[in-house]
Amino acid sequence: MSDSKKKLLVVDDEESIHLLYKEEFEDEGYEVYSAMSGEEALKLFDEIKPDLVVLDINMPGIDGIEVLRQLKQKSPSTPVIISSAYPEYKQDLASWASDDYIVKSFDLTDLKESIKRHLKK
Amino acid sequence: MPELRRDPVIGRWVIISKERGKRPSDFVIVQERVRGGYCPLCPGNEHSTPPEVLAYGRKEGAPPNSPGWSLRVVPNKYPALTPNGNLDRRKEGIYDKLNGVGAHEVIIETPKHEETLATMPVEQIELIFRSYRDRMKALSEDDRFQFIIIFKNFGRAAGASLEHSHSQLIALPIVPLTIKQELSGSMRYFELNERCIFCDIIRQERSQNIRIVCENDEFITLSPFAPRSPFEMWCLPKYHSSSYPEISDTQIKSLATLFSETMRRLDKALPKVPYNIMLHTSPIREQNLEYYHWHLEILPKLTMIAGFEWGTGFYINPTPPEESARFLREIDIHKQGTPDSLLSRKEKLIS
Repeated sequence: MSDSKKKLLVVDDEESIHLLYKEEFEDEGYEVYSAMSGEEALKLFDEIKPDLVVLDINMPGIDGIEVLRQLKQKSPSTPVIISSAYPEYKQDLASWASDDYIVKSFDLTDLKESIKRHLKK
Repeated sequence: MPELRRDPVIGRWVIISKERGKRPSDFVIVQERVRGGYCPLCPGNEHSTPPEVLAYGRKEGAPPNSPGWSLRVVPNKYPALTPNGNLDRRKEGIYDKLNGVGAHEVIIETPKHEETLATMPVEQIELIFRSYRDRMKALSEDDRFQFIIIFKNFGRAAGASLEHSHSQLIALPIVPLTIKQELSGSMRYFELNERCIFCDIIRQERSQNIRIVCENDEFITLSPFAPRSPFEMWCLPKYHSSSYPEISDTQIKSLATLFSETMRRLDKALPKVPYNIMLHTSPIREQNLEYYHWHLEILPKLTMIAGFEWGTGFYINPTPPEESARFLREIDIHKQGTPDSLLSRKEKLIS
């Protein structure tokens, strides 16, 4: 795999989301890593040092908001995009730490555009 | 026997279950685990918020949205209502609707992440009340808005998602029902008595002296006669005023002093209890009303709102306001440690 490929870390507890995102994001030319929980994401983040994180919120164990705050504490400049089925987490001011908040949909246009935009910055 | 009590302003009924008479020590307050980590409201992280609309405390010449502030007001990154566009009020058969236009702002009350209303200095609380006035005045210029609500949620059970002390402001294109009920109840009383009902409440409370928590020359905190929640308090100006934005700098100083004492008393009685605070003031286009009186309502989150409450508008309150006022009044806020009366307090610590 080429060194120039940008690394994405996808954090979600649903297998089907990983399958979909992996296929779609690899087609876009990214190197995709998967974490099934917040705990795994925090560990993997230190190992792979991703260029961008796509993060679910509603997960068992450490939830996405807590993962977000810990990731931003470790690396404030790494973009984190929240990808949640629930728009109501926008009410959580801690979600402001994220660089974007995209409500999950099988149409990934908005998410892909957001990733592109934040990787260009 | 329980007692039914009627709120004199809006006529809401509550059930006071007198025989239970819950003391502060009888309430289980789940101590929340602090999430920690990056905070978008802390100094140095200004880039995580939308550009500020107001800030106090920076040195002259310092750029906006940089550290060094004492208080910041920023638009909500994900607002409940959007500031752009017109109202376009329209009908759909019998139904009414209009565009979701409004302003939604967040008041970052302090640069210190751990500070609360019970621990911050009075001068900081003064800044908070000043920012409320200044933002209300500025937003009142927008003729799309009819009413401005300022509220604070403290603790997760009361709806606060981030522990960094903040309150919120929403400018609405309509006057909400709760305020309309207060206005019409107050107006009805005024038509009968030619006096402001809130001024009369203050007069009676000062003469009975059983529900007063604390007071100074210009403000008073009391447990209302028919409280929805145990330890509910109202903080009111003793002088007549229907509109909060009319408050002077001197009055803000006096309000901050009494409010700080109120919050320290509450925190001493019920450490870190979740609560909601709401500022009720007259609608933007209805200033200087003889019959209405602005006030702050402080509602600790100690009981459940369930089917009975939703179905009837009644509330069941296990602590008579006379008792909660006495507990709060008698607490020595200058004494270190847990008051003797609270030593049996049960705490569920979640690690």
